[in-house]
Amino acid sequence: MKTIHKIRVIVPVVLLIILFLVLNLTNFSDKTKNFFYSISSPIQKTLWQAGDNVSDFFSGIFNAQELKKEKDEIFLQNLELIAQISALKELEKENKDLREALSLGLEKDFQLVLSQVINKDISQDSLLINKGSEDGIVPGLSVITSQKTLLGQIGKVYKDFSEVVLITSKESSFDAKITEKEIYGVVKGEGNLKASLSLLPKEEDISEGETIVTSALGGIFPPKLLVGRIKEIKKTDIESFQTAELTLGFDLGELENLFIITNF
Amino acid sequence: MIKRIIFFIFFLYFLALIQTSFLVHLKILGIVPNLVLIVIILINIFTPYYQWQSIGLSLLGGFYLDVFSLSCFGPNYFCFFGFYTLISLLIALFIKFIFKRHVQFSKR
Repeated sequence: MKTIHKIRVIVPVVLLIILFLVLNLTNFSDKTKNFFYSISSPIQKTLWQAGDNVSDFFSGIFNAQELKKEKDEIFLQNLELIAQISALKELEKENKDLREALSLGLEKDFQLVLSQVINKDISQDSLLINKGSEDGIVPGLSVITSQKTLLGQIGKVYKDFSEVVLITSKESSFDAKITEKEIYGVVKGEGNLKASLSLLPKEEDISEGETIVTSALGGIFPPKLLVGRIKEIKKTDIESFQTAELTLGFDLGELENLFIITNF
Repeated sequence: MIKRIIFFIFFLYFLALIQTSFLVHLKILGIVPNLVLIVIILINIFTPYYQWQSIGLSLLGGFYLDVFSLSCFGPNYFCFFGFYTLISLLIALFIKFIFKRHVQFSKR
């Protein structure tokens, strides 16, 4: 009787171990995930949009004061930007004339693939998008938002889906520069949707709000993609470099459509 | 009993979907509660310790979490398909053990 009881316990445990060994050592887990993502993606897309709407509703209630302050700041920034745009339009015209004169031709733009977010991992800084190897996606491609803000790069690729490793992931690090001052540093992901700009020369004077863009140095991402702005600068006497905490250029709650750069 | 099991098979599946697609937008103090694990704990608490179906449901809940959790990158010992299944199984067995050894129900 006791032996039968033991067999009834041991057999399922052994079967379970074999199942998970097979799933981990072969690509069967990828196929399993792809299958589940395929049948769940319509529901996930609806839930993602619903979550986004609910989050917007509650953030409106809880952050009313902050929103008002933000609105005032944006209004002032908008005025500044309108002035800048008119100046840039003049420059654009001048640039166009110069290009034509030098016969440089049109600037090559990125080759992009549009995709949608359907899932975010509960523990990792990564997203799931609805484009996979069938659409020509390969690991390492850069992912940006519609505002050309850098989001991350393609991690694992399934048949119809891919994972995007956000720049805030602890595994992410790449070269970037402060546009206003041409100061180079390294953007490192710190997890939990946070990132910092490190290895900044100590003697350089850096102020909050300055814009960070990708540099061509690392070759991981195309140059001049917006990364974010400087939030806080950390400078100590012990360290030979200064570090800056970043405000990212994207809001994960607002993300729906993403672009994958297939060629640059 | 079979009806209840079928209900939980779909219920856990939808919870895993809600967890990964809906709740990620609604962080409470930066934390997203893991609904699937909470339900697994509740199932095991409210099912008598001698009914082993709850272990199966815990395994299934863990499996759903494994499927809908994205891969982790870099060296990580907890990074394998089956991590949540293992955690769910351990939680279920722990609750069963506590109830079997230390909790007595009145027979009415």
